[in-house]
Amino acid sequence: MSLLEVRGVTMRFGGLVANEDVSFAVEPGQIYAVIGPNGAGKTTLFNTISGLYQPSAGSIRFAGEDTVEPFSAAVAARALVVGVATSVGLVVALNVEELWRIAIGDNYAYGEAFPWAKAAKDLLAAFPGLGAWWGLGVAVLGFVIGLGASLVLWQRSRRTPDRIARRGIARTFQNIRLFSDLSLIENVLVGMDARMRAGFWSCLLRLPRFRAERESSESDARELLAFVDLGDRAEEVAKNLPYGLQRRLEIARALASWPRLLLLDEPAAGMNPSETNDLMRLIRRVRDRGVTVLLIEHHMKVVMGISDRIMVLQYGKRIAEGSPAEIRSDPTCIEAYLGKEEHG
Amino acid sequence: MRRAPLLIAMLAAALAWPIAEQFLPGSWSVLDAVKSIFIFAILGLALNAVTGFAGILNLGIAAFMAIGAYAFAILTNDLYPFQIGFWPAILLTLPIGALAGFLLGAPTLGLRGDYLAIVTLGFGEIVQDVLKNLDSITLGTQGINPLPAPVVPWWKPGEDGQGGGLGLVDLAEETQGAGPLLSYYLFLAFVVVAWLVFRNLERSRVGRAWMSLRSDELASRSMGIPPVRTKMLAFATAAAFAAFAGGLWASWLSSTGEPANYDFQISILALCIVIVGGMGSIAGVLVGALVMIGVNSIVLVKLFEWLQSKGLGASGSVFVSPNSWKYLLFGLALVLMMRFKPDGLVPASGRGERKPSGGRS
Repeated sequence: MSLLEVRGVTMRFGGLVANEDVSFAVEPGQIYAVIGPNGAGKTTLFNTISGLYQPSAGSIRFAGEDTVEPFSAAVAARALVVGVATSVGLVVALNVEELWRIAIGDNYAYGEAFPWAKAAKDLLAAFPGLGAWWGLGVAVLGFVIGLGASLVLWQRSRRTPDRIARRGIARTFQNIRLFSDLSLIENVLVGMDARMRAGFWSCLLRLPRFRAERESSESDARELLAFVDLGDRAEEVAKNLPYGLQRRLEIARALASWPRLLLLDEPAAGMNPSETNDLMRLIRRVRDRGVTVLLIEHHMKVVMGISDRIMVLQYGKRIAEGSPAEIRSDPTCIEAYLGKEEHG
Repeated sequence: MRRAPLLIAMLAAALAWPIAEQFLPGSWSVLDAVKSIFIFAILGLALNAVTGFAGILNLGIAAFMAIGAYAFAILTNDLYPFQIGFWPAILLTLPIGALAGFLLGAPTLGLRGDYLAIVTLGFGEIVQDVLKNLDSITLGTQGINPLPAPVVPWWKPGEDGQGGGLGLVDLAEETQGAGPLLSYYLFLAFVVVAWLVFRNLERSRVGRAWMSLRSDELASRSMGIPPVRTKMLAFATAAAFAAFAGGLWASWLSSTGEPANYDFQISILALCIVIVGGMGSIAGVLVGALVMIGVNSIVLVKLFEWLQSKGLGASGSVFVSPNSWKYLLFGLALVLMMRFKPDGLVPASGRGERKPSGGRS
């Protein structure tokens, strides 16, 4: 089974078609490269895979599952609860003075014991009589608003970057996006958040669960920093790191969630030859950790040197796919990159 | 841990002040005013969580303070049937504030930066109006009073000097001196608790998630941080502690005051505390509260008293009343801070002029 299966993905922005009917599959353990001229739609494809954009058509399956969250009983139940709560809340809010008078004002005499049971009974008895005919209308309106809003929010959050990340797809960015005022180790720890389990209260009260997780996550983070050769700079602030090392930190951060698939968006951009060589070695080592790699790259040396499979995009369409040797000898690819041969 | 000495020094000074005051002339007595520093320190810590850590500009923090103050008042004052006493009421302000934060945040936290700031600004105005116009419940502009002063459970000072015993004691009914002193330490303890809460959150995945959203929301989402839920947590936590500060404020004044007391100026004052101290810096917020409220409630007040004693303030001229100058001074302080020390007096780690080799604090 393929790890990532992209089927017929089309991405339109108004009249502009950034990707048209793109299909490909990445097998586990591969290093898969997407290449193409500037503006071919490579980064759009990445953003679609990682959940920033919703494809206009087509589907993206990861580890055999559709990445769009399916409708479930829990979603329906939550929408109903929100609907009822909004309904009650709206009725109470619109009648708060009346309800207060019925339950408390009429029952409480200064200095005397308050009849709680009677107040509760009066309060409940007051609801049917509220505001005559429009009382029911308000209740229905509240229910519809609550239910609708809950469903709209759910619909919008069916395929968001955070959900995709939690499924096991991590990414880096073309223009490096680190948490620049956090330290290196904190950057990696944010990447690890997706697999942390200590909740709000155990963090707040420093319960044993938090302490245990802090130990293990910090040692994991240090191990990852050492993996990208940044082990001795864990406490430095990310923005003070030189450019080439920032890329490495971004990769360490992405690996922290233990992803199964890592998306690298032009990792060699702006690197000198020796940094590029180091990067190629690093990408191979990432793959050897058992992480499948999907990368966009311009640098032909990198692409040809490390990829198992290559897909070529031009004007948003897939024009070729194959092993590096096949791509190198494919006339359409040569044409796309080097221009057409003149005959005659 | 380079903030530790500063925090310890501040704590030691706060602990020692009431004792030191005994040896100073009577006009130096500022114990009561220092309590307002404590209250605003808690408010500043709350605002710092949402604005400093999570990067959400909240211009309506005073609204949550008002909600806390009125909740405390309605739960304790004998015009209402609840009358549950100081401790249950002050602790209930936390969930009540969190609920209010949740109700405001749920529909709006999907908004971005500036829009959300405008929503919080509007909320600050709405809450005042609601409290003012719901006068069958809140007594409108009268404010609710009297309210209970803090009590210290299980502690009762010996009435004839024979040591303490057990029992609930209303500090307001105590002999002079002991009451204000105990509530001073109680308020200080609340500040320490709030400090511990926000420090624990800051140095956990919760705080890191907040800071990552502030730093780069897109990258943060791509790392699996759910943005709305994470912001909600910051918003509700801040609202809870702002409401707690509001409850303390009402208890300290023994009145909610009128709804207009919780206006935009309070929100801005809280924001000034955070900015002057250092956005995202807990130690900074405590320093900010000390400086801003210290000037507001102690320096300017004492200056006014001194001017009056020289026969200057008595004429009623606004120009010799330092109180009329305070917003000018605050404005000037903000401008100077922005120009010379934009990261605050005690910058958060990772900000300010930090050397690359600096340690984490």
